[in-house]
Amino acid sequence: MKTHSLLAGLAAAALSILPAAAQTPLRASLNSDIRSTQPGGNRDFNTDSVMMHVVEGLVALNERAAPVPMLAEKVDLSPDGLTYTFTLRQGVTFHNGAPLTSAEVLWSLRRYMDPATQWRCLPDLNGRSGLARITDMAAPDARTVTVTLEKPAALFLPTIARPDCGSTGILHPSSVGADGAWVKPVGTGPYSLGEWRRGQYVELERFEGYAALPGERDGFAGGKRAVMPRIRFVVIPDSSAAKAALLAGNLDVLTDVPSPELPDLRARRDVTVAAAPSMGVTALLLQTRDPLLKDERIRRALALSIDVPELVTGILGQDTQPNASPLPTASAFRSQAQASRPARDVAAARRLLAEAGYRGQTIRMITNRRYPNVYDSAVTAQAMAADAGIKIELEVMDWATQLDRYTRGDYQMMSFIYSPRLDPSLSYEMISGPKDTQPRKVWEDSQALALIQRSMTVTDGAERQAVFDELYRLFMAQVPMIILYNQPDYVAFRQGVRGVQPWASGQTRLWGVSRD
Amino acid sequence: MTATYALKRLGMALPTLLLVAIAVFALLRLVPGDPAQLMLGDAADAAQLEALRESMGLSHSLPVQFARWLGAALQGDLGRSLANEQAVLPLIVERFQVTASIVLLAVALAAVIAVPLGTIAAWKQNSGLDLAVVGGATLLLSIPSFWLGLLMLLFFGLKLGWVPVVGYVGFGEDPWQALLYIALPVVTLTLIETGVLTRMARSAAIDVLRLEYVAHARSKGLRESTVLRRHVLPNAFAPTLTLLGIVLGNLLGGIAVIETVFTIPGLGRLMVDGIYARDYPVVQGTMLFVAAIYVLVNLLVDLLYPFFDPRVAAE
Repeated sequence: MKTHSLLAGLAAAALSILPAAAQTPLRASLNSDIRSTQPGGNRDFNTDSVMMHVVEGLVALNERAAPVPMLAEKVDLSPDGLTYTFTLRQGVTFHNGAPLTSAEVLWSLRRYMDPATQWRCLPDLNGRSGLARITDMAAPDARTVTVTLEKPAALFLPTIARPDCGSTGILHPSSVGADGAWVKPVGTGPYSLGEWRRGQYVELERFEGYAALPGERDGFAGGKRAVMPRIRFVVIPDSSAAKAALLAGNLDVLTDVPSPELPDLRARRDVTVAAAPSMGVTALLLQTRDPLLKDERIRRALALSIDVPELVTGILGQDTQPNASPLPTASAFRSQAQASRPARDVAAARRLLAEAGYRGQTIRMITNRRYPNVYDSAVTAQAMAADAGIKIELEVMDWATQLDRYTRGDYQMMSFIYSPRLDPSLSYEMISGPKDTQPRKVWEDSQALALIQRSMTVTDGAERQAVFDELYRLFMAQVPMIILYNQPDYVAFRQGVRGVQPWASGQTRLWGVSRD
Repeated sequence: MTATYALKRLGMALPTLLLVAIAVFALLRLVPGDPAQLMLGDAADAAQLEALRESMGLSHSLPVQFARWLGAALQGDLGRSLANEQAVLPLIVERFQVTASIVLLAVALAAVIAVPLGTIAAWKQNSGLDLAVVGGATLLLSIPSFWLGLLMLLFFGLKLGWVPVVGYVGFGEDPWQALLYIALPVVTLTLIETGVLTRMARSAAIDVLRLEYVAHARSKGLRESTVLRRHVLPNAFAPTLTLLGIVLGNLLGGIAVIETVFTIPGLGRLMVDGIYARDYPVVQGTMLFVAAIYVLVNLLVDLLYPFFDPRVAAE
């Protein structure tokens, strides 16, 4: 009798505990709040991360950052390279239960192309940035949507799949009110928007009617299975507080772990740290119009004075490989030809400086403390350059001020981090351009600009590869900047959490993640 | 009489608030950085930047921007956040409630601890007890709040697991949970402010203890506890009240460091986030609100002063 009572008591206790544990959502950190719930609208990196759980586009980026069909079953390109025909998948429904048809796709695309929406990627698709220009959009039947371009554009699909474009997420018209004002995203993603408590958290709820693509998890595309009924992105700006929250069990997944916290976290048995190289680029920018740095010999001397492998190991340990190419190591187009970099040669650097008539003039390098690795890179490079007799002074400023100076091209040298560009053409486009009209561009070379333009139109893979290899050769010869490494993405998670897997985009994916 | 005085003081505060508004507006615009640039990041081209600046109302001249903002502010509209498009005034009020719940509790606790402690230390001046109190108070007010906060967080939150480490729950939702979530920030703030107030209370009590009427009270044969309670404490409290007003005004204006360490969505964090994002309407609105709070708290202290020092009313 006593045993029965004890068992009954234990069972009751277990029952009272189990629902409570199940009710606790999977909690992952965000270092700042999201800006809005409009995909590709008022957004930042965190906004994109959250929204990619809620909305999906016709195509999505896979693990290698290449566009693959998502809401489209297949994508056909006309022989002239102008018209894309998207055949929609069957059985896909929106969060409100309505089936996905070409009408919603067309409505969404037209809304994005309306300047009033302030879609981030509008200039890339209305011809303003020169990337592509949509001339027509149509829905011949309920399962087909066609998009016609003015000229063939290799970057059309990668662009509409970009997370900063909100993956051109297809929305149900009920996402806006009768007056056209934004209400909330009614998409087709594995999670729907639950509660957004500004400054505190964003909670998403599992979409029970979600139609996942088959297969393993693949970037933003395949195998998106919502395991946890609710997930919560908790806003914790302070990294020490976020780490304490993870260790105390108030957080399940700690994203964006700063490297100084890694040894401590790795030493713990109840925490696992996972890492993947992201597509963000950390580099030392050199102002090629500066009276001193316009001399290619001084720029080459700077590059030769820095022991990049040593710098990378010193700052990031063995997790990260140095990378000299504007293309991230995770890019499918970063060939072996782009893996070479001249080794440190202080004597050669000194010779070049003497030839250029360098007499110890001070070079001012801007950096910031918002990104500790960027700051550490600046300090280490300063010390290494000093060995070759190059005098660098650091100017530390807040990120907003540095970004302002970057945009105006108002610097001699700058330790900088670029946000991920998921297409190789865009990796080169981000650094290249005419400085008269775009002062933020670092590399100004007509031959390179022509090659980049070419890379945006050719669709043949081998031909594109040759273009990027040639661009790398030019880049290394002219040294407009010194690329150091691709910032690794570190994620720490508690024992019992499974399926966390950082990847090249640097964005957090909580589908496929479970907790015991 | 008191009402007239209060109205007069409020009237006098208007030029102060206007000066604050002008100074904050001008200083913010002098700081390099552009909210549109921050929003678009390193991929922004000139045309996109211009379009976004236009939509944010930043393409007008500075005097026009200021006149528009001030005109709306006078009608109770502090604009909308550039970062997330929320109306600024409700945002400030919402965040202020969070900050106020922590600050009021912490300052009340600090006052309850510090005033008797300071008075006793003064009574036992130069004794071992006095030395301990002064030493403790100096130590508390010297500790940086973020460091003390982190220690509290690591010990009580992480090691002992008594309270949650991050997050916030409003009193309206669950009072018990709310207390748990604000316990550590309140204790941290209480400790620091206890240090500040104890020293002031002690110093004020020492001055009062030297006055003739205290000697007179003692010579009448009153017990020391009665002398302290009835004659020293009320008179020594007036200068402490002034300091309390200053402390309260300062803290209600935002406890940014505490709020950041404990992930509390209060007014201080709103302002810091606003500064980093160059969210002009949020920073301008918050600073104006803080200035108004400061004026009001000090007015309230001035109005309370005659209760503790009747000579002020007479003057």
